[in-house]
Amino acid sequence: MLTREEGEEEQEEEEEAKGRRRAFSINDNVDLLAEILGRLDGRSLAVAGCVCRLWSAVGRRDSVWEAVCHRHVAGGGSSAAGGGCSTRSVVAALGGYRRLYRLCIGPALDRLAGSAGGRGSTTTTAAAAAAHHLSLSLSLSLFSIDCYERLGGRQQRPASLLFLCKPVDVS
Amino acid sequence: MSRSDLGTDPYDSVEDDRWIASASASRGEIDSLLQGAGYRVCSTDLRHVAIGLEQLESAMVGDQCVASSAEAIHYNPSDLTAWVDSMLSELAPDPHLPRHPHITATANTWADPTQQRPSLHGLENHHQHRSVPAVSLQSMDEEEDAAIRLVHLLVSCADYVQRGDSEMAGSLLGQTRLALARVNTGFGIGKVAGYFVDALCRRLYPPPLSAAGGGGSAANPEILHHHFYEACPYVKFAHFTANQAILEAFQGHDRVHVVDFNLMHGLQWPALIQALALRPGGPPLLRLTGVGPPSPDGRDALREVGLRLAELARSVQVRFAFRGVAATRLEHVRPWMFQVAPGEAVAVNTVLQLHRLLGDRASPEGGDAAAAEPIDTVLAWIVGLKPKIVTVVEQEADHNKPSFLDRFTEALFYYSTMFDSLEGGRAGGSHRGGHHHHHHQQQQQTVAEAYLQREMCNIVCCEGAARVERHEPLARWRDRLGRAGLRAVHLGSNAFKQASMLLTLFSGEGYCVEEADGCLTLGWHGRPLISASAWRADDDAALPCDHQTLLVLQDHSSSVTSGSNNVVDGDDHHLRQHSVVRNNDTGSGSSCSRV
Repeated sequence: MLTREEGEEEQEEEEEAKGRRRAFSINDNVDLLAEILGRLDGRSLAVAGCVCRLWSAVGRRDSVWEAVCHRHVAGGGSSAAGGGCSTRSVVAALGGYRRLYRLCIGPALDRLAGSAGGRGSTTTTAAAAAAHHLSLSLSLSLFSIDCYERLGGRQQRPASLLFLCKPVDVS
Repeated sequence: MSRSDLGTDPYDSVEDDRWIASASASRGEIDSLLQGAGYRVCSTDLRHVAIGLEQLESAMVGDQCVASSAEAIHYNPSDLTAWVDSMLSELAPDPHLPRHPHITATANTWADPTQQRPSLHGLENHHQHRSVPAVSLQSMDEEEDAAIRLVHLLVSCADYVQRGDSEMAGSLLGQTRLALARVNTGFGIGKVAGYFVDALCRRLYPPPLSAAGGGGSAANPEILHHHFYEACPYVKFAHFTANQAILEAFQGHDRVHVVDFNLMHGLQWPALIQALALRPGGPPLLRLTGVGPPSPDGRDALREVGLRLAELARSVQVRFAFRGVAATRLEHVRPWMFQVAPGEAVAVNTVLQLHRLLGDRASPEGGDAAAAEPIDTVLAWIVGLKPKIVTVVEQEADHNKPSFLDRFTEALFYYSTMFDSLEGGRAGGSHRGGHHHHHHQQQQQTVAEAYLQREMCNIVCCEGAARVERHEPLARWRDRLGRAGLRAVHLGSNAFKQASMLLTLFSGEGYCVEEADGCLTLGWHGRPLISASAWRADDDAALPCDHQTLLVLQDHSSSVTSGSNNVVDGDDHHLRQHSVVRNNDTGSGSSCSRV
């Protein structure tokens, strides 16, 4: 009797331990991971994409970048409503939220943070404050112009967003 | 004439009686002798000159010789006193050096700088406000002097041109070029002045007709415009503000029609298409009619732009149709070419185009009730289209004054501010990004300057029908548009916010957006350079135009063949019509009939 109880106890302990380990692995809960990553700012999200292949894949999801864009830009409050669907399809047609952030919102936020004096305080709060002035519609307008320029298949690279200063273009 | 045997000061004429006697007896002789030798100096100044020459010699062979003779202005050597002063002030900036109080400026074209300085100082401050590297005060003054002198010369030259005295103008032009060599032509007034000197030259000695292409360069105007679009925010500001007004005017309409007086690359329209796609209630059916010059090499540039816009519209699921109207001059366009359908909401968009329709002003007071200018006919049929909104963007300057000199001076100041803003915007943006980016911006700026140079050349060199850059300020446009039956629409706060945001992103610290009576102006350091306004037709002022449109539609339906171009005969033989792309689908983008 003792040995069986001991064996059972050991088994229970092992299962408990295993359960404990499994409950703490974020990689098993990809949607939760996406939800968390969507709360980062752009640079941190890009860095997070370097952790492992899973994180890189999740970090490339357009839905994650959609959350990032809306969080950093005014006028994104209506994303929950039906208007969000059409926005999503339009942005997808123009190239996706990740691209929108990389080409328009990110550089714009950097520019705003830079022009705000470049104070060393938390970049997130500064960015958030500045972003309230940056509207989604303006970003989308700029984005659409860039998309349009690439449509033509021109030899010279589309330059209408260069004024936002993107020094490296790794498409 | 040094007499070292006289004692301490060889030049002290009081020392020796003999010296005094000989001097006073032959002072008149000395003067005449000097003049005979070619020197314009009186004998009383000789002491000062001699002291100066000694100091000059010691400075030149001494170790404090500064080779900065590029910026200095040297007086005519025959005027010994002034020449010595100027040489000394350049080589050995010595505060104790007594500046000769009276500079003989009789037959001299170099006017006294001390008198000129206060009057044009404001001008110089306006143009050279960027941080100048630490130089000695003297050469800064000389730099200013040189710039002031340059402006003076330019204006005098223009004055002679206006009077028709081409000889004097030509010689002044030569002097101006010399003065230009002494000014830093890298930025500020020097850069603009160079272009204006060239323009004056071209006006005085017009090149053979084959070379004169309204600016000379064979560059595609669309490419120039595109670089100007990217180098500075003026055109972007125009597009965004106009789009905002159009968007608001189109609220609630299912079928909308935009007429663009100058399509170029169609950079204004992707943003509008995207905004219409996202508007609450869904996108309308959008028709775009783009007017542009016919392409020289047989390509159908308008159609290509239309195809690209159609592709974009298809991807965001906006029903879109494009028509191109090719016309060499705007006044050749007729309203029936747009084929406005009844029930459509029409928007007319003119960015930097309306001023091309103006003519010479009849009198200095600006009474333009004289002849019927093309502008009046065009405005009349614009009103006849019953547009929901007319967006007008124009340069904020008066370059259509009857007097050439006034135009010239205004253009000089306007374009120097413009060039300053180009420079300032580039400098502000270049602190980020790498070397390659910096180089690209430099290139862009140069091409943007070429774009502006075309305008300047047109203002200075051309007259009559060839002069198309007839900019007029907003106040005059208000009058004109009001008389044509258009009422102003206030651009809302959204447009203002958007413009401010755009400028914040655009890096240049000197740009300023201002609101004036419902119109927005964008300027550089307080000087407005471009204005955007919106108008709508008065309901009772509209002519019954639907009739005409319908009739024409009937005519056209009989003569339209599938996909071919219609050549319009009669007076408008420059025109061709294209019916281009039509997107019939709303969902899947598979079937897209291209005409």
